[in-house]
Parts: sequence; C-alpha cells; structure tokens
Amino acid sequence: MTDQQQAFDSATLEVLWTRLVSIVDEAAAALVRTSFSTVVRDSHDFSCVITDVSGGSLVQATDSIPSFIGTLPRTIRHFLDEYPAETLQPGDVLITNDIWMGTGHLPDISVGRPLFHDGKLVGFAGSTAHAPDIGGKIRSPEPREVFEEGFQIPIMKLIRAGEPDETFFQLLRKNVRTPDEVVGDLWAQVTALDLMADRIDGFMTEYGLSTLQDLATEIQSRSERAMRAAIRALPDGVYKNTISTDGLTEPLDLEVTLTIRDDEVFADYTGSAPQVDKAINCAMCYTYAMTAYAVKCVAAPDLPNNEGAIRPIHATAPEGCILNPRFPASGGSRALIGHFVPSLVFGALAQIMPEKIMAGAGSPLWCITQSGVTDAGKSFAKLFFFNGGMGGTAQSDGQSCLSWPSNISATPVEVIEQLAPLRIRHRRLRPGSGGEGQHRGGLGQEIMFENLTKTPCAVSFLAERTRIAAPGIAGGDDGAKGEIQINGDTVDPKSQHILKSGDTVMMRTPGGGGYGPVDARNPETAQQDRDEEKV
Amino acid sequence: MKSASAWVPDGAVITPLDEDDLLAKVQTLVDKKVEAVAIVFLHAYANPAHEDAALAAIERAFPDLIITASHDVAPEIREYDRTSTTVTNAYVKPLAHTYVDRLVAQTKDLGISAPYFMMLSNGGLTHIAEAKRSPVQLLESGPAAGALVAAHFGSQAGIDNILAFDMGGTTAKLALVDNGEPHVAYHFEAAREKRFAEGSGLPLTISAIELIEIGAGGGSIAHIDAMELLKVGPESAGSEPGPVCYGRGGTNPTVTDADLLLGYLNAGSFAGGSMNIDADAAARAMQPLADKSGLSVIDTARGIYEVVNENMASAARVHIAERGKDPRLYTLLATGGAGPVHAYYVARKLGVRRIICPPAAGVASALGLLIAPARIDRVATVATPLDAINWPDLEAAYRALETDAADVIAETGFDPAAARITRLADMRYVGQGFEVVVTLPAGPYTAESARMMLDAFETSYRQTFSRTPPDVVAEIINIRVSLRADVPGERAEFATGAAGETGGGQTGTRPVRFPENNDFVDTAVYDRARLRPGDSFTGPAVVEEAESTLIIGPGGEARIDDAGNLIVELPQ
Repeated sequence: MTDQQQAFDSATLEVLWTRLVSIVDEAAAALVRTSFSTVVRDSHDFSCVITDVSGGSLVQATDSIPSFIGTLPRTIRHFLDEYPAETLQPGDVLITNDIWMGTGHLPDISVGRPLFHDGKLVGFAGSTAHAPDIGGKIRSPEPREVFEEGFQIPIMKLIRAGEPDETFFQLLRKNVRTPDEVVGDLWAQVTALDLMADRIDGFMTEYGLSTLQDLATEIQSRSERAMRAAIRALPDGVYKNTISTDGLTEPLDLEVTLTIRDDEVFADYTGSAPQVDKAINCAMCYTYAMTAYAVKCVAAPDLPNNEGAIRPIHATAPEGCILNPRFPASGGSRALIGHFVPSLVFGALAQIMPEKIMAGAGSPLWCITQSGVTDAGKSFAKLFFFNGGMGGTAQSDGQSCLSWPSNISATPVEVIEQLAPLRIRHRRLRPGSGGEGQHRGGLGQEIMFENLTKTPCAVSFLAERTRIAAPGIAGGDDGAKGEIQINGDTVDPKSQHILKSGDTVMMRTPGGGGYGPVDARNPETAQQDRDEEKV
Repeated sequence: MKSASAWVPDGAVITPLDEDDLLAKVQTLVDKKVEAVAIVFLHAYANPAHEDAALAAIERAFPDLIITASHDVAPEIREYDRTSTTVTNAYVKPLAHTYVDRLVAQTKDLGISAPYFMMLSNGGLTHIAEAKRSPVQLLESGPAAGALVAAHFGSQAGIDNILAFDMGGTTAKLALVDNGEPHVAYHFEAAREKRFAEGSGLPLTISAIELIEIGAGGGSIAHIDAMELLKVGPESAGSEPGPVCYGRGGTNPTVTDADLLLGYLNAGSFAGGSMNIDADAAARAMQPLADKSGLSVIDTARGIYEVVNENMASAARVHIAERGKDPRLYTLLATGGAGPVHAYYVARKLGVRRIICPPAAGVASALGLLIAPARIDRVATVATPLDAINWPDLEAAYRALETDAADVIAETGFDPAAARITRLADMRYVGQGFEVVVTLPAGPYTAESARMMLDAFETSYRQTFSRTPPDVVAEIINIRVSLRADVPGERAEFATGAAGETGGGQTGTRPVRFPENNDFVDTAVYDRARLRPGDSFTGPAVVEEAESTLIIGPGGEARIDDAGNLIVELPQ
C-alpha cells in the first residue's frame, strides 16, 4: 500500500459506490427476511452500514429510518475505543445497547463485525435493530432511571472468532419476555454482518483494492462538498424557534438556535428543558440524528447517507438538558421528545423558506404495548404502531396516518387480532382532525380495542400531542389533538394501565397542521373533503 | 361505505350481517352512478360467509352492478393489501368486460373460431370467464410471456437456470428461471408513483411472474451529478427524441450514443440499415460530460457503459440474494434491442459464466403466448402452527383448492387429469412476518406428513437464509395449489429462420473498445443471418442482426447450437 491517495474518476467511483450500496441493501434484505419480530420486518426499524477502519461510514442501507443517521458509525467508534484494532480478529462480533453509545434506548441492539481482507482489517460492518423486548418495565415513559428499563448490554464480544458467547445468550434469554424472538432477531443481525463481510471480501478482490480507505475518503469528501454547497445556498443567519410538547405534568419546551454560517449549520439546543425523571430523555446521539435529518431534508434530500454528508452539520445541547441527558437518565420513549426535533428545526427554517417546510405533523408515532399472561399461562408482550397525520406543504395536503419522521408502518387489524388477545371494534379516519389551510393537514385515526385476556393485563402507550396540537404554518390551522380513553374516560397516556377482561381502549391519533390560509383552498378540493367525510 | 359485520381470526361470527342496512348503503352508491362495487370484510380469508351473503344480496337487488368480493380474488390475511387488490379488481372489471367481449366478437367476425385463451400475470393461460372474473390477474401478462419464452429458449439449449435479461429503450427487466420455471411471486406492486421505488405503488396479492424493472435502457440519459459522479438514468430520451445519434432532436447523451462511440453498434447497418446514424453528433453531445469528469470522450462513453452495466448487475444481485440464490449458477439470456450489447459485461460483473442470445428475440413475448401452459393458482389462509394442524382438514383444504382449479382447467378445454398439480405452502417460524413459499411433495397428507413439511420448509429456509434458528415452531400461513396443463404441441420447434445457410458469417472487421483494453482493437464482425449451427469463433467479436448486436469480449467462446441459439462461454 502506498501513502498516495488513489484517485477515482467519475465513472469508476460511481461503479464502486453502486456496488457498496447494493451490498448493504442485500444485507438489509437478509436481515428483514430472517427477523422474527414485527418491529424489524414490518416497520423497517433497523439499519445496516459499512464503515472504514476508523468507523467513518461509507454507505448505509437505503431503507434505514432517520433515527439511525450517523448513530451506528459512532457506536462502531465506541467499539474501537473498547476493543482497539489489534484486539480484533476475523469472526468477531461486538455488541451493545448502551443508550449513550447506541441510539438512545435499550431495545436498539447494535452489532459490529470487523472486516478483514487478506488478513488485514479494512473496515466494519454494522447493524442496529429494534429488539421485540429487552426486559424491564414494558415500554412506557415511567422508568426514572435506565436500570428500570431492562437488560443493559455493555460493549462486549458476542462472538469471539466465530464462537458465540453462550453465557451471554443465557443471560439475555433469561432477561427478556420473548427469548425466541429476541435471539432470533439477533441472529438475523449476525446473518446481515456475515453477508456484508463476505461481499466486501469479494468486492475488494474483484477490483484489486487492498484497502477501503481511499474509496472511503473519496466518497466522504465528495458527499461533504455537495452538502457544503447545498448549505452555502441557504441564507446565512441566526434563526430561533421554540415549541412546546405535552411533557409530563407540565408542558416541556424545546428551543433551538440555528446558525447557518457559510457552508455549515450549527443547531444549539440551549434553553430546552432540563432532563426529567421519566423515560423521554433524548440522548445526544438521537438528537444529532434528528437534527441531521431535518437539515438534509431541506438542503440536500437526495444525498446518500455517509460520514461526509453530515460532517457540516453540528448539534450541541448543554449536558443535563432533555436533549442531552446524563447517566443514569432513562430514555426508552425518547421518540416522544426526539421526534419533535425535526419540527423544531423546520420551524426555525420556516422563517426563511416556508415553501420548503412541512407544517407540524401528528408525530411522534403512537404505539400500544400489551403484556400479560395468555390463557395457556405463557407470558406475552405485543407492540403495535399507529400514526397521526402529516402536515400540509406548499405543494399538497398532508398524508393521513403516516409515520413521520420515522418510517414505521401501522399494524394491520387482522394481524393484531391474530397475534394478541385484543379485538378491534373499529378503526377509522378521524374526520376534521387535519388542520385547515390552503393545503390541509393529514387526518389522524381512531382505533377502539377491547381486551380479551381472562386475567388482567397491562397496557402502556407512546402518545404525544394530546395537549399541544401540531402547528399549522404560513397561516394554516393547527391539527386536532390526540386522545386516549379507557372505558370512555380520558387517561394519562404516559402511565401504565391495567385492563380487565372486556375493558376498552380508544386511541385517537393527532392530525397534521395545515399550510397556508384556508380561504386559499381550492373549492373543489374542499367539496371533495366534505363528500369523503374528511372534514 | 361501512357495513356492520365482524369475525374473529378463527372465523367465528361476532356480529351478524345487517342486509337491510347494507342494501340501503349500496343504494346511495348506485345513486351516485357507481358501476362496480368491492366487498371487503375483516377476516374474510378465514370465513367468506358474510362476503358471500353480501354479494348475493347486492346481486339480487342490483343486477347491473359489477361486484368483486375480497375472498374471491385475494383470500389472504392483511386487510390493506387484500382491499387494495379487491378495489383494483373492481376498478378494472367493467373495462375488462367490455374489452374482452369486444375482442371475442370481433375476432369471431374475422372468421377465427379457435378457442380463446388469455395470459395471466403468473405466466399461465386461462379461459375468458376466469379472466373476466378476476381481471387484476391480467396486469403483468406481457412481461410474463417474455419470461416464459426465456425459459423456453433455455430449455431448448438444455439449460435450466436462466437469468432472463431484457433491455430495451427505457428499462431493463430481469427475471429468474429455476429448473425451467420462471419464479412466481405472490405479491406485486402496481403503478408505482415514484418510478421503480419499492413501496410507492399499489400492493396487490396476485401471483405474477417475478420481474424487476430498472430505469436502464438504450435511451437512458447520462449526466454528472452534484458529487461529480457519472449517473445513467433513470431519465430516458425514449425513442422520441431518442439518443443524439438518431438525429431526431435528442441533445442528451444516452447509453446508445456511448455504445455507438465504443464501436459496438454499426452506424451503417443500424436497425437493418433503415436509419441514418450520426456518430459525430453523439461525440459532441458527450463532450460536456467529458469536460466535467476530466475524461476523454471515449473514456466517458466507456464509463457510461460500465455504470449502466453496474446498475443492472447491482439490481440483479440484490434481487437474486433476496431469494438466497447464487448468480454464478445462472446463464444469462439476452433479449431486447440493447440486451445483447450489454449482456456479456453484465454477466461478467455477476460472475455468470455463460450467455445465450436466442434467435428472433424481438418477438419473444408473442412466442411466449404460443408456448404457455394453462395455469391456475389458488390460495387459502390457514395460519396454524405445524404442531396444531388438523391433518384431515388440511388435506380437505388442499383438495378443495385442487378441485376448484381443475374445474377452471376443464372449462378452458384441457384435460384436468393430465394437469400437473403442485402443492405449496407459505410457511414461517411462529412470530415471523415473512413467509417462505415452499414446494411440497404430492399428497395426500396425514399426521405423518408433519415431518415431511418441516423438512421441506427448513430446506427452503436454509437455501434462502443459510441458517435456521434453534427451537422455534414452524407454521403454515397460506396453502397454495398450482395446476398446469400443457397446450398441445407446446414443445414444437419454431421455424425462426435465424440459422443461415451459408456458414462462416464474418463480414469484416472494425475497431471496437472493450472494457478490458485501453484502446480500440480491430475486431471481427459477423452477420447473424449467415451463421449456422456448429459455427464457432472466439472473441473479441461483434455479431450483427437486424434488431440488435451481440458484443463478445476478448476470450469469449461463441458457438451456434442446433436450435440457432448463439451461446457464449465467458473466460474464467
């Protein structure tokens, strides 16, 4: 190997880059197809990446959700801090679910595998996937500390030179409610790593590469240049925005000071609420991913995800703030705060370019977790997702019942009734829940469940925008607020509730905000809304 | 429109159907001049009684409505996909009825009295009534015929595992043929909003020959993007204005322009000599890309060729891997105007060792219609773990599907007793959400069959995913049967006239630039029409025919087989 940076022409680089993307996409396909839980396969709540030897990402799977932008490469760097290159050998697989070093909550298990070519370390393959269960208190904002949230996995070798750590698997199985699904999904992640290792080896042989470093440098620097050029096209300035979320007993404020200076963006979250003793704290890694996502949406949405593309985007938050909590803060329901970050950043940018910004969405996603004991005496835990409406934009009405900013699809009724002792009495769009405007916000949804367990079971929720609606922009109205009722009474969505046989749960997800003044709405579209009972 | 009625997953009734309420609601639809109605009830895949009752009641009250019930076209769990399929069927049914009736009447007027068949998306033929009952099944029948003919040419050349590669003006299509059978998928996405992007279309639960389509064709436009990368497609110049070299007003450099500059295409005999080709204009259009990328015009053309080949190879690689297969075990069969120009180097990127270029590839789909078997697929949802199966019930369920399919085969005019019956099952481990479609041994099944089913499932599972998880129970989600009856004379040879009489076939030489070389090399040019069975030669070579040109790289061994196929072995 020479010290000279190998040069790649436009065509060769395109060919090599396309191949790398096809490798992570192949791995993602293998992960989805071998996974056991609904979370991975139906909700794409996972990611696959390939990084260089220092953990800088080259490519990320095409279908990855925004929460994972930049998180997995950072986890790989933490792996390297713990296990420097000389301690790694072919067939090793490292693992962690540490909140601060991973993605901000314990169910996301990250694994990494060193890639060797001709006996030399050339990079890493990584994958993160949301485990169906991680023990602890069922996914709810109640835990005060991470210790209540489940099984913590320090950075360790899950597989050592091809030998799985059986002690670890025994401990994991003992600490989760659904060991077969959890361990099955973990093996699906390992399958994805194996595939990437095999393909990278073949790729390097085919193209006569002895290292990935020159290719990494080229991919990252070109992406970085493109992102910098896109940011440079935005007007320099300091833009502030503050929003409120439902919070716990009191609404919580989030604040951003967004500075666009030349070809860089700085998001400073000073002024946001301090961390809380509930599991809605949003670790810095997640705050960063959401910031990078929002800036990318506006500046360069088509740019592929890699280290270079996010290098000009910076985020800071004071330690101890809800957007950068200290150990041992809990963070299981971090999306309840974190999913507001893109809206917060958008709000700042709406001051200079409303035409590129979506009105407030009925996000974050909602979910219901039901856990208990089946009539056959087996413990179970089931998690199902639902969505509110998206915001209107300068171009169109918001989509109804669609996940944003995470691409998590809603679970079908027939699947819920197959998997869980629940009956869905009805599920329908909520007329009038979208904020009025030139372009209306998307509608939320109303779902009524009946509990069928003979013995009482526990339910908990992720639910937001039950107090503060999704805001309209450029003169559009706010969307409708969300609501959860048990047996007809509105309940605190952030607490766990016990259901007896026959009890009912009504979930009403929030609508999206409207864009532009309602008098600018096309009368025909307005009539169609009335005909279709959307308003 | 909502109607009261409810079931639970095992098919028990919770709320009975309220017919009066239903008919009142349908009346409001009829008042709005609705012509077609879709009926979808939850869990109707498990118990269709309410859908049947609703269908009968609506038919009685509104005999002119065209009705589709979900269990009749898509009896599978997941209400969104089932509804999407049912509504799509209801939407096309009135159109299909008018169209098919008119087609039949007019061909009769022409004096054609032969029985009428239609090709379904699954690559099988069926009779008119079945096509009219469920026209959503006709959706992808054209490309399906193309894949069938690829399988046919493959088996003619004695090759069972084929990667069918069709590259035209705007898109390339890829299909896998294993053991002489094109892969059939049981889910399909129609009318994608974002071209080629998975998830942007209507999900349909119909069986269809599995094809991937990518935006790579002769008309695909090359450009340099914001990252100074050379991108090719998916934007296409199509055939109008087409590539720059066609001289019809196209100004953006395309794949065909690159192919011409590299010497792959003969400007003089393009499309049988019927077009004036302007290579200088192609070179001029390429110049701005060359300037931006710092490459020469020829290296830019070479880059376009490499990039479009990698795009197709990458799509094929992910597609093949999703099915747990190894591309190196396939033979690539090239059709379409641009297919033979790119086949050799797509094959090389995939590690494929052999390509076939059949004669008369331009009329491939039409030929497929002549050789297709009658084929009927049927499905039912079972959703039961293997250790809880009631075996007599399962056997009865398979028999019911077979009887239903056999009836359609018989109505189509074939002997059901001679039909090949395949039993399949969509199986997974309990808790998984994706099923593997497993081909099962023939029945009848008894309690002793549990072991056989598990073995068949685990074999398929390992083929796809390389390992099976420990200690998990398997379950059957759907059962399927596929009945096929050959059309009499299916294996008849087609007189394609492609194998010439004179032999030899070399018409001259011309300079061609191959990816392996840094400069143009003088390359032998052959006329396909003058090659005959038994002829062989070694690449580099160019083989010209009216509709396309086959490029053979240095060291490729070409020969003409008895059926007139051109077979090329790539060097190791």
